[in-house]
Amino acid sequence: MIEAEKIVAGLGGAGNIVEIEPCATRLRTEVRDASMVDEGALKRAGAIAVMRNGAAVQVIVGPEADTIASDIEELLE
Amino acid sequence: MSDARTPLRVLAPVPGRAVPMSDVPDPVFAGSLVGPGVALDPTRSRQQAVAPVSGRIVKLHPHAYVVVSPDGRGVLVHLGIDTVQLKGAGFILLAAEGDEVEAGAPVIEWHPAAVEGGGRSPVCPVVALDAAADALQVVAGAGEVAAGAPLFTWS
Repeated sequence: MIEAEKIVAGLGGAGNIVEIEPCATRLRTEVRDASMVDEGALKRAGAIAVMRNGAAVQVIVGPEADTIASDIEELLE
Repeated sequence: MSDARTPLRVLAPVPGRAVPMSDVPDPVFAGSLVGPGVALDPTRSRQQAVAPVSGRIVKLHPHAYVVVSPDGRGVLVHLGIDTVQLKGAGFILLAAEGDEVEAGAPVIEWHPAAVEGGGRSPVCPVVALDAAADALQVVAGAGEVAAGAPLFTWS
């Protein structure tokens, strides 16, 4: 089970996350500072892969993406 | 994952032409990051996407769904690429998350030409979630296949 806390940390912390949206297989996120994203930490947290395009970061987590995104949104509130 | 299971017959969820997953214009699917599979270039007509296997709909998005067979194998059907951005517009749900369905039962109605008209690829990856790369055998021929026709076997 992928822990939301570890994904948030890998994305540079709650303050670095501008937006997070689940797709069928991935978390589509926008971050403030892309240099704070730690791909190794995200993979250790269970991410299959990380795709980056500037501030747009996709964390590939498989079909539990919607559940993980809900958990993350609760943490961000 | 056990190797002793009976091969699972996975049906084409939409009518169209089978294309290699590596041709899908999305790195996650093309790279088989969530599992191997076969994609379908769908017929450009309003259509009902169906369950590829019998089992439970464990995930149902407007544009994608996962059906898990009784022996625990999940098949993801994704209707078009980047279609999450449509936020459900143009997709009609015909089933509910948690439903038990038979293979071939309608799940979502949509129109590939509308997706394409919005500038997105309507290609539909059909993914054997977490399967080994060599576990699939494509059974669909080179021509058009009907929704509900055999697409690949998962051994």
